[in-house]
Amino acid sequence: MSMTQSMAAASPWFQGKPAFVRFWAYIGLMLGATGLALWGGDGYSEDSYIFQLTSMQGVLWLGTGLLLGAALAAIASVAKAEWGESPLAERLVSWGDGAVLMIAMMALFTLFEPSASALSYEDQSNLFSIKLIMAMNVLFLFSAICYILMLFAPESFVARMATGTAWMGVYVGGSMLLLRWYESYLFMDGSIGHAPVSNLYEVFMLLFCITVIVYLQWEKRYQAQAMGAFVMALVAAGVFFEIWLGSIGQADIKPLVPALQSYWMKIHVPLNFVGYGSFAVACGAGMAYLTRQWLEQRNPAMKVLKVFPSLEQLDQLAYKSVAVGFPAFTLATILGAAWAAEAWGGYWSWDPKETWALIVWLVYGAYLHVRISHGWQGRTLAWWTVSGFLVTVFCFLGVNMYLSGLHSYGRLS
Amino acid sequence: MANMRRMSQRSVFSRELMHRLSSMPLAITLLTVLALASVIGTVLQQNQAQQDYLQQFGPLWYWVFRSLGLFDMYHTWWFLVLLGFLMVSLSFCLWRNVPRMLKEMRSHKVYISERAFSHIKQQRRWLVSADSAEHIADKLKQALKEWQWRQEERDGVLYLRADRGNRHKWGYIIVHSAILVILVGGWISVQFGLRGDMAVVEGSSENEISYLKGTHTEYKTMPFDVRCNSFEINFYPNGMPSEFRSNLTIIDHGKEVLTSDIIVNKPLYYKGVRIYQASFGDGGSHVKLKLFDLQGDRPPRIIDTQVYQTYKDDISGFSFEITDFRPHNVENMAAAGQPKDFQDLGPSVDFVIRGNGLKPVKMRSFLQPLEIDGENRGSIMMISTTGDKRDFQSIGLGLDLTNPKEWALYHAFISRLQRLKLEGKNARRMAFKSAMEEVFGDQRPKNFQQMAVRVINGVQALPQLPWAVLPVLDDYDQKYYTGLQLAKDPGMNVVWAGSALLVWGLCIMLYISHRKLWFIIRPQDGQWRVEMAGISNRNPLNFNREFHTLLSRAEQATAHNPSKGVDE
Ligand code: HEM
Repeated sequence: MSMTQSMAAASPWFQGKPAFVRFWAYIGLMLGATGLALWGGDGYSEDSYIFQLTSMQGVLWLGTGLLLGAALAAIASVAKAEWGESPLAERLVSWGDGAVLMIAMMALFTLFEPSASALSYEDQSNLFSIKLIMAMNVLFLFSAICYILMLFAPESFVARMATGTAWMGVYVGGSMLLLRWYESYLFMDGSIGHAPVSNLYEVFMLLFCITVIVYLQWEKRYQAQAMGAFVMALVAAGVFFEIWLGSIGQADIKPLVPALQSYWMKIHVPLNFVGYGSFAVACGAGMAYLTRQWLEQRNPAMKVLKVFPSLEQLDQLAYKSVAVGFPAFTLATILGAAWAAEAWGGYWSWDPKETWALIVWLVYGAYLHVRISHGWQGRTLAWWTVSGFLVTVFCFLGVNMYLSGLHSYGRLS
Repeated sequence: MANMRRMSQRSVFSRELMHRLSSMPLAITLLTVLALASVIGTVLQQNQAQQDYLQQFGPLWYWVFRSLGLFDMYHTWWFLVLLGFLMVSLSFCLWRNVPRMLKEMRSHKVYISERAFSHIKQQRRWLVSADSAEHIADKLKQALKEWQWRQEERDGVLYLRADRGNRHKWGYIIVHSAILVILVGGWISVQFGLRGDMAVVEGSSENEISYLKGTHTEYKTMPFDVRCNSFEINFYPNGMPSEFRSNLTIIDHGKEVLTSDIIVNKPLYYKGVRIYQASFGDGGSHVKLKLFDLQGDRPPRIIDTQVYQTYKDDISGFSFEITDFRPHNVENMAAAGQPKDFQDLGPSVDFVIRGNGLKPVKMRSFLQPLEIDGENRGSIMMISTTGDKRDFQSIGLGLDLTNPKEWALYHAFISRLQRLKLEGKNARRMAFKSAMEEVFGDQRPKNFQQMAVRVINGVQALPQLPWAVLPVLDDYDQKYYTGLQLAKDPGMNVVWAGSALLVWGLCIMLYISHRKLWFIIRPQDGQWRVEMAGISNRNPLNFNREFHTLLSRAEQATAHNPSKGVDE
């Protein structure tokens, strides 16, 4: 049983009325933020909105929303007791907690930023986010090692370390990305500020966080910790690639080319990575499936097998991951088409990145059909998730690296 | 008789065909084949110049690829047939399944046979004391209020069925129709849409767009004119462009109807046509070049020409084809490994110099001399012998050619050196001194020391150049063209509608599972035996858990003590 689960089970905060009231407090908070954007005094400025939120005016809007949401929910739950019993609120409230914690951490981290005179665009190595990236890398690598160790030494201490460091990595990584957003305003009088989803280095870190979050959801609900060894091994491989990208000078915060200056970027890119991250988890489940099957054939009495989830469970988890990733990826591709329609005049132009997104989509679409068609074994499906992820990786990395001659995002530069 | 047989044969055949066309293996095959085919078009660059293909693949493969249409693959007949096949298959699939599914969703079948019941994995039974089976049924319905209940009595046994997520099958219908809608929208876009490029020079207007049709270009006149009033580029402090902005006026039947700015990601909309900022370039800027004769003692001459024109200099016999003008050249001036140091080298002109039996060479000349740390290092040039901009190498000329006195000093010095044919250090110094006196008399300008160094550098560098004349940018009057893309797409909204349906349907299909519960209540030893079973069409992991919760709720509602339960 994971730490968070035991925590959640023990605390009344996550159940019944308290969960219900807090859930609506978060909804109120979001409505307050929306209200600020729509009717705030200084008007809405897309990129520097994060700063508007932290101004006095922002605090007033958010605070009002929060209190109003909480108060109304409290009254409602007193007036009619069964309203207070909301499984949806119980399920979702921890997401709100996580988001608030990340934002709070980010606010704390801004205090460690070097002074304005010590910052320079040319040499960004003293930004605080660089230290956090290092911490995140170490946490994920350590977590991967723990998950793998756990297969051979399934003591609860190792298991706790594995899960705990994975969660810490997610929080450090998530708040680091927010901090990077803040940091992008520190140069050139704020003229280059943008969300940290604009280059390969940044989206790689986003991908780790999303992959680990998706995996941890499964771990929280189903006893499938051994699968973590496979998912975290993929993440660890990504971490090494990210370190390499940093070493060739890809880590700097750079201005946005005009083609990327659009609110679509902030929606399209993260949603795409929900797809990629889920497909990575599905691949981890597929690899665990194939490994288990291979071990069973060699020696069914092996000790490692006791730690593994059953084949059926792994098959289900792979499917659940695809079921999260496929709609997200579909929506992301559609939003990408909407962006293309707005920026270039056509929703589809058979650009290599677009075409590969379609290929990935067709591959997972075929997977869903293979699943319900008769006569196919779990083994085929497991291979399908693994090779599907290879196609995904090519779409994500390969297109940029090998087909870049064609790739025409940023046509104007 | 024979006739009838043929007919039934035909209907067998068509039923078989329909069966095949709507089968799952075909769906999987189609999706996979489409994916594989799409790969080809990304690996082979599409719509390039035919010579490039010929050069790349050689005559044989060029011919093979060309015959298969691989250079414009997504518009070939076989790719379109593939998409058409997908549409046909989807239609049959819907045709065959939708009536069945609708019927199933409406079905009120409650009775379940002993055999079917025993095959269900999740099941339990227990004993209840109650007045009647109806009574138990009411309690169960009360406990599981959120379920849809139906019941039927047969031979003194009460059958109850409860459903949730019955809408699940709609997901299938919506998703597969949505894909049809999207494909139809795409077809409308291709058939009735319009997309082309238009280049408008600052200050002038244009009404013709050009577009690729297959591998050749076609033109079309728009029903209105677009005038570009101005085009500007804004830069970030590090020299990266931050914004491309055109100010456009739409002129419809001679009347100015609309004036607006467009930038990338913010197009203009007029009469169903969207106008996008797509590219830019030089619109024929006027440039003045100063020609320095490197041999002989003719004073520098100024020529007045334009980008995209060729100027032939009769005196030297060289011609200059002006290819581009740039108002800014931001370069990283730091040595490798040092922190970056961006600096604007100022305006430049690109041209190709030809003549006198020399190989044509691409050159870039700057308006200003190079300055490093506030020190004038003389004029520079970039030269590319291959004609490719990426091969530009910069060459220091030593002299600051924008300063006429400096050129005069250089010229006086070098002509003395040549005339006297003197050798040795002393003679050079004498020649320099005399040249200096000729140009400046007694009054030496400020920073003369630096000028002297530049002149000496110039004496080393300039005579090495193979050309008799050297053009240097002297003045300019810049004019851009803005590259617009015009598009009209009547299929777009159909595609968006299909897309919305697709996402909605997928969520229904993947997140709502159809769960069914059966209860069979029959008398046994003066009590009632309740049998409960449940299945879900997906997500067994969750359902196992849900079933146990439901079970305990059902057991509690019927006031049964679970410890006495009979496990199955
Ligand atoms: C791009 C094309 C397609 C997409 C994205 C798509 C998507 C889907 C999805 C997501 C499912 C649900 C799988 C699940 O329940 O987990 C499904 C089921 C199904 N698809 Fe497709 N499909 C496509 C094309 C086709 C075609 C061409 C056919 C027929 C030849 C087809 C036939 C079916 C059938 C029969 C089912 C099972 C429905 C059921 O019984 O629940 N699909 N499809």
